[in-house]
Amino acid sequence: MSRRMPQMFAATGLVILWIGNSLASGQTPSSIPRMGGKPNLNGIWESLSTANWDLQDHSAYAGPMWEMGAIVAVPAGQGVVEGGLIPYLPAAAETRKQNFANRRSADPEAKCYLPGIPRAAYLPYPFQIVQSNKDILFVYEYATANRQVNMGKPLEVGADSWMGMTSGHWDGETLVLDVTGLNGKAWLDRAGDFSSDGLHVVERYTLTDHDHIAYEATLEDPRTFTRPWKIHLTLYRLVEKGSQLLEFKCIPFAEELLYGQYSKQAGR
Amino acid sequence: MRYRGVSRYRYCLIAPSALAMTLTPVFAQSVAKPATTSTATVAKPWKQSMTPWGDPDLQGVWPSTSMIQTPMERDLKLGTRAVLNDEEVAAKVARNKQFSRIETGNTNGVVPLAAGWFDYGKPNRQASLVVDPPDGRIPALTPEAQTREAARKKHWNEKKDSPDTWLDLTTWDRCITLGPVGSVLPFAYNNGQQIEQGPGYVVFRNEMIHEARVIPLDGRPHISPEIRTWMGDSRGHWEGKTLVVDTTNFNGQVFIGSEGGGFGDSGAVATDQLHLVERFTRVDDDTINYEVTIDDPNTWTKPWKIALPLRREAKYDYIYEYACHEGNIFMHDALAGARVTEKKAAEAAAQKGVK
Repeated sequence: MSRRMPQMFAATGLVILWIGNSLASGQTPSSIPRMGGKPNLNGIWESLSTANWDLQDHSAYAGPMWEMGAIVAVPAGQGVVEGGLIPYLPAAAETRKQNFANRRSADPEAKCYLPGIPRAAYLPYPFQIVQSNKDILFVYEYATANRQVNMGKPLEVGADSWMGMTSGHWDGETLVLDVTGLNGKAWLDRAGDFSSDGLHVVERYTLTDHDHIAYEATLEDPRTFTRPWKIHLTLYRLVEKGSQLLEFKCIPFAEELLYGQYSKQAGR
Repeated sequence: MRYRGVSRYRYCLIAPSALAMTLTPVFAQSVAKPATTSTATVAKPWKQSMTPWGDPDLQGVWPSTSMIQTPMERDLKLGTRAVLNDEEVAAKVARNKQFSRIETGNTNGVVPLAAGWFDYGKPNRQASLVVDPPDGRIPALTPEAQTREAARKKHWNEKKDSPDTWLDLTTWDRCITLGPVGSVLPFAYNNGQQIEQGPGYVVFRNEMIHEARVIPLDGRPHISPEIRTWMGDSRGHWEGKTLVVDTTNFNGQVFIGSEGGGFGDSGAVATDQLHLVERFTRVDDDTINYEVTIDDPNTWTKPWKIALPLRREAKYDYIYEYACHEGNIFMHDALAGARVTEKKAAEAAAQKGVK
C-alpha cells in the first residue's frame, strides 16, 4: 500500500463534502445555463416516457384498431404517478373505465383538440420554451397549442379554457407554474385518465443539467380525486443541430372521424 | 362560440344599423393618425429599447384592431392617392357612430347578432392595406391562376350552402388556420398579435386560431422543401432595428383573401411557391409598423405588399385562448343540416311521385 493512499482518501472526502455543501446551500452544477440570474429554460424539449399512453404502470397491450396491427399497440411503461396509482373517487374510477373503453374516438387527442395541462408536457411531440427577460411562452408542436406564462402579478381567470391561465414564479432554481381556469375537457392520457373543471395544476420545471429538466406536476381536484397527487418525469432537450418545432396541424386528420357521418362522401 | 361560418354574412349584420341613424352617438371616436406620421408628433426622440441579449425589444401585444376600417384594396376612384383627405375621414367617423350603436346593442329595436363581440376599429387616413402596387390593388392573377380560381369559386358557390363534405368549406370554417397573412389582417374579432423574444428566437403569436410562429434568428437555412406547411417555415434576421422574416415551405392550400379572413369567393389560394417577406419595425412605444411582401409567381403577375401599424391598446395585454376547432358547432350544423335538407327534398319528391 502506497503511503499516498490516506491523502487520496482525504482528498476524495473533501470533494464529497464540497458537493454535499453545494447542494445543501442551493448551488447548482455549472453546466446549468443561466439568464438574468435565473436558470435558462430556452430550448426544445420532449418527454421520452410512455405517460401519454398511460400515466400509471402498464403492460404492453393491443391498440384500439386491429386494422393497424402492432403500429397502434401500446408500449409497456413504468408509471410516472408518485405512489403508483391515481387516487380516483369511486364514481370517477368508473368514468375512467368507460373512457378507456371508448378511447378510440372519445380521447380529445383523437379529435385534435387542445391537450390541456399537464398532458401538453408529455405528448409525444416536442415543445419549445421561449424565455425572455419578461414573460415566458410555451409553444407545443401538437395542434399549435401555446400558452403564455404570466410572470407578473397573477392574472384574473375569466372563462375556463383548454390550456388554462398560467402564472409563474421562481422558487430558487425551479420555475413554478400555477395553472387554473382549466375546463377539464382534456384527458390526461390515451387511457382515459381525466379530471373535472375543478382541476388545479402546479407544475415545477427544474434544470438538473444542460439538457434535462426534472418535471413535476401536482394535480388537485376534489371532485375527481381523493387527494392531491403528483407525477414526475424527465424532459429531454432536442440536441440535434437544426432542431426546430415543425407543424402538426391535425384538424384535417380528424375530420373524417368528426364529420364523416354527416358527409355525402369521404372527404379524402 | 364562433362566427367564422356567419362571417360571410357580416354585411347583413351591419345593415340594420342604418335604421338607427338618428340616434345620438354613444361615444365619440378619435381619428387615429396614419402610421407614417406617428413619430413626428412625439416631442422627445423615441429610442428603441434592447433586450438583455442585444436584440431590439419588440415584445408585447400589438393588436391590428385599429385598422379594421381600412379596406384591403383601395377605392378605384382614389387612384394612387394612399392617404385619405379630411372629408373622407369625416365620412368614416360618421359611419363609425353607427358601429358604436351596434356595439352597445342600441339599434332602435333591431337586435344585432353579435353585439359586444365584433370590433370596429378606428377611422384612419390609410386608404388601403395594400400599399404596393401604388394603386393599392392586388395585382392580376396569372392566366393559370385565373382558371384555377374560377373553378374554385364556382365550386364554392355551388356547395357553400349545402356542403357534401368538410372539404367544401374554407380552412377558416374548419378552424385550421387563416395562414400567416390572414392571421394578422384586421378583422371583426381576434386581432391580438403578440411578439415574444428569447435569445436567438422571435415568436409571432396570433390570437386567431391560436397561432405561434417560432422564428429562428441564427441564419440556419430553411427546412427541406419536402416538408410543407400551412404557416410556412420562417427565418429571421435584423436589419438595423427592423426584424426581417423570410417564409417559405407552404403547402399550396394557404388562402390570401381580399378581406382579412377566408371568404370562399374572394381572394386566392396561393400555390406552394408562395414566398413571404415580413418586416417588423417598432417606431414608438405603442406602434410596430408591419409589412408583408407576397410573392407567388404561380398565382399573381407580380409581388405585392400589405402594410399596417400594429398598435398597443390599453387592457389588451393578454391573448385569451381561441379554441376554434374544439367549439366548432358550425361544421356539424352545416354538414348535418345539408343532409337533413336533402332527405326532406327526397321525401317530398317521393310523395309527389306517389300522388
